[in-house]
Amino acid sequence: MNEPVLRASHLTRIYGSGRTAVRAVDDVSLTIPPGELVIVMGPSGSGKTTLLSMLGGLLRPTSGEVVINGTVITELDEDRLPVVRALEIGFIFQAFNLLDALTVEENILFPARLREGGVAAARPRAKELMSRLGLAHRRCALPRTLSGGEKQRVAIARALINEPKLILADEPTGNLDSRTGQEVLMILHDIARDEGRAVVLVTHDPRVEDMADRILWLEDGHLRDRNEVHHWARDPVCGMKVDEWTATLISEHEGQRYFFCSPRCKARFDAAPGEWTGG
Amino acid sequence: MFLWAWKSLFSQRSTLLGSSLGIAGAFILVLFFDAVFRGESEQIVAYPEHMNPDVWVMQAGVGNMHMASSYIWDWKMDVIAAMPEVERVTPILYFANIVEARGSKLFAFVVGLPSGEHRAGPWEMSAGRRITGKGEAVIPAVLSRITGIGIGDTMRITDHDFRVVGLSRGTYSSANPVIFVTLDDLADILSAEGTYSYLLVDAKEGVSPKQLAEGIRRTVEKVNVLTTEELVANDFGLAMQMGVEIIFMMTMICSALAALIVGFSAYSLVARKQRELAIVKALGGRRGALVGSVVLQAVIVALLGYLLAVVFALLVIPQVPLLVPQLSLVVSIGDILQMGVVALLVAVIGAVIPASLVLRLDPALAYQV
Repeated sequence: MNEPVLRASHLTRIYGSGRTAVRAVDDVSLTIPPGELVIVMGPSGSGKTTLLSMLGGLLRPTSGEVVINGTVITELDEDRLPVVRALEIGFIFQAFNLLDALTVEENILFPARLREGGVAAARPRAKELMSRLGLAHRRCALPRTLSGGEKQRVAIARALINEPKLILADEPTGNLDSRTGQEVLMILHDIARDEGRAVVLVTHDPRVEDMADRILWLEDGHLRDRNEVHHWARDPVCGMKVDEWTATLISEHEGQRYFFCSPRCKARFDAAPGEWTGG
Repeated sequence: MFLWAWKSLFSQRSTLLGSSLGIAGAFILVLFFDAVFRGESEQIVAYPEHMNPDVWVMQAGVGNMHMASSYIWDWKMDVIAAMPEVERVTPILYFANIVEARGSKLFAFVVGLPSGEHRAGPWEMSAGRRITGKGEAVIPAVLSRITGIGIGDTMRITDHDFRVVGLSRGTYSSANPVIFVTLDDLADILSAEGTYSYLLVDAKEGVSPKQLAEGIRRTVEKVNVLTTEELVANDFGLAMQMGVEIIFMMTMICSALAALIVGFSAYSLVARKQRELAIVKALGGRRGALVGSVVLQAVIVALLGYLLAVVFALLVIPQVPLLVPQLSLVVSIGDILQMGVVALLVAVIGAVIPASLVLRLDPALAYQV
């Protein structure tokens, strides 16, 4: 079996103390081998970003450890963490997080300062990534002149510049339209499949489910493998299958919860619940 | 990292310009006060510098002219005049006092000259004539412009009235405008008949000022003999000493102001770019490099302010006396270079708090939408 790229053991993060303490992430363990695309889903405030921050060495856990490529990053001090962040992990953010004053190429090359040979050695790789992600003609453009999809592709190229074994992506399609979002997901999918990188993707986007190797569900700080149990419900209006765990359109009628695929179905139900429940 | 710091700073041009102008304002204040002080100090020694005899003879224990009193017996002049090395001796009486002109009271240095003597008198006239007799005075042209006293008008020195007969050029400073009257009039005012304040002694050809000074010291008792260079150095040193504390305080206050502006600018840059800095940290930016980038930005802001102040100092300050003639301004390259060092210090001090903010910055902020 492949050596895991990422191993998190008993990760816990507690905010506050005493009676006001909140366990944002509670005893989470996780192992991801190379080439696996893992999706972390869960309701807002479930601790997804906290978990991702700890996996990326941006936040220290209250307890537990994170091992990336054999390095226990939770034991590293602030002087040694930047090298791990720059060389071992590629970060992709929902808000793209490009540096406004730098061009596309400069943004892509930014994390390359810490790698062997520095920025100069990384230029051919940057050129190749720009070409592969359709950014070659935007090399000298500033982020403010790019479309959302282009910005996210620059962010992906930046995450890949140092050829990290682990990619952490937080809602990478959150600010994109569905077509562009689909493109970005395909790129991430290819990164995992073709390049053997481990990709951890936090998302609400249900389209990703089909391309994931594993879907993990984080709720109240606890992580569960979602493939273990299915929570399917049927939309009472149109009869479509709806996932109870991810559904956001919910109504209650006579003590029973109903899940909907769209706002239209919910509105029709809410107008006359009896008509759809036979009551 | 530094490329990002540089580009990030210059992408916010209005902030950069505003901060640099603020710092320039503080530095201009320092350079302006330095120029005023240096101009005044140089003007204080204008009289001895222009007279430029080989040596000055004064009362023993007196080493300068500015704000000093000196009395030597008149027979000592005769002894000196009889020395073989001496070409010429010109006596003057001198005192500093308030003079009244058209209701204004002004502090002035009054020099008493032998009637018809030009050697120790005004070196350049702008109007009228030199003094020839009792009750006459020559005043600085700038003083005439400030007070409105013209040729033919009367002014009062202690209890004596004088009629202005000429206006001199290059004899004004706000600390010591030089007024010329006759020796007899000043002796009368001071009740100092039979004495002089200073003797201006010129050596015969081939005799150096040092040799002449040595000769006089050997021949005449209870006098001090200085070359013009020594006397000017003493007076200039005294003037600098008198103003140095004020200038130091001004420099400190304006430098503190500049440091506050640099600090505020760097702080607002950091606060505004907090998210970007968190991204940089998340992408592997080292703490040292991040602090370095903040210091670099502060240094750029401070140096831009400094350069603006230097341009102003070199181009505008020398023009001010044309509009305000009573001001004597001298911009010194030494002061400008000194200000450059202050600018660097100011930048480093101003960057301390923003740098500590950067050090504490949470890289997980990068995840915030």
